[in-house]
Amino acid sequence: MPEITLQPISVMTDGGGHEGQLVLAAGHPVAVLSRVTAEETLGEREQVGGWFLEAGFGPCGPLMSVTPPVFADLDQALAWVRTRLETGFNPS
Amino acid sequence: MQLRTEFGQYRLFLPSTTTRMTNPLILKLEQRDQLSDEEKRALENAIARVRVVEADEDIVREGDRPNESSLLLDGFAARYKIVSNGRRQISALHVAGDFLDLHSFLLKTMDHGVLALTTCRIATVPHATLEKITDEFPHLTRLLWLNTLIDGAIHREWLTAMGRLSATAHMAHLICELYLRLKVVGRAEGDSVQLPITQAELGDTLGLSTVHVNRVLQELRKEGLIRFQGDALTILDWERLKKVGEFTSTYLSLQNEDR
Repeated sequence: MPEITLQPISVMTDGGGHEGQLVLAAGHPVAVLSRVTAEETLGEREQVGGWFLEAGFGPCGPLMSVTPPVFADLDQALAWVRTRLETGFNPS
Repeated sequence: MQLRTEFGQYRLFLPSTTTRMTNPLILKLEQRDQLSDEEKRALENAIARVRVVEADEDIVREGDRPNESSLLLDGFAARYKIVSNGRRQISALHVAGDFLDLHSFLLKTMDHGVLALTTCRIATVPHATLEKITDEFPHLTRLLWLNTLIDGAIHREWLTAMGRLSATAHMAHLICELYLRLKVVGRAEGDSVQLPITQAELGDTLGLSTVHVNRVLQELRKEGLIRFQGDALTILDWERLKKVGEFTSTYLSLQNEDR
């Protein structure tokens, strides 16, 4: 399993910079996460704020994966990234 | 907003308050063609019973073999399928006047489910009655055929929007369509309609995450195109909303003509 690291970044959403994290696997970008509020997930079964997958690449990207629900915290997000990296060819 | 420009070329059948209790299917068909009194009576008499289905309950399930079809009198319903990863795709939204499973009359086995998004009042039409209508009323039969053809035209339009429009344009397109469909059956108050659909349900309809639904609605609101107050959606700038959504109403066949 490659080393997964986080790099805080500002993500341009809603016309402004928002708190975000660039997720790197062995130094390669695999995901961009941004912080979202509970209001933005209004209508979900579990309305929570957390981390939203803005963009994913490779196994975390749209060719292999559907956009996951909002992650409650970064640990959950990273667990999802690890699972995707481990899964290999398994379009979901 | 100038809806006259949208309807200017058609003879718009404007339901008055007194016709609001009319079977909305009749309103929907009368927008497109003239119905004789006998045909209207046949549609009214086709209703065997009226039932109420609560929000989030299935009206028809995938795999069912119904011997009756459901006509939506009030409320919002959705055609849907669930894929193996648990995600739901809503392939059609239905409003008052829509026949939810007219096709089960001929297709027999439902290849998808239909779900009540809000409390729905549903008229039940036995397939035996539909068979009798097709035997005795050729013009009315053509109009029921038209009804399913419009459903098909909406599917084509949705597929195109889903595949090739931006999320913001796609949402604008859906809002334009729902507004006109609700207006035809007398469910619009001026520039406003009640749209009691959640962000998650809109997401399942447009193939978007709830977060993206929230963002595109905020974009349309910030641009002064729409306003939400509770469940009431008001269109503030019809022309620009249409332009953003690349919306033309041809596929809804709103013209009143001999069919």
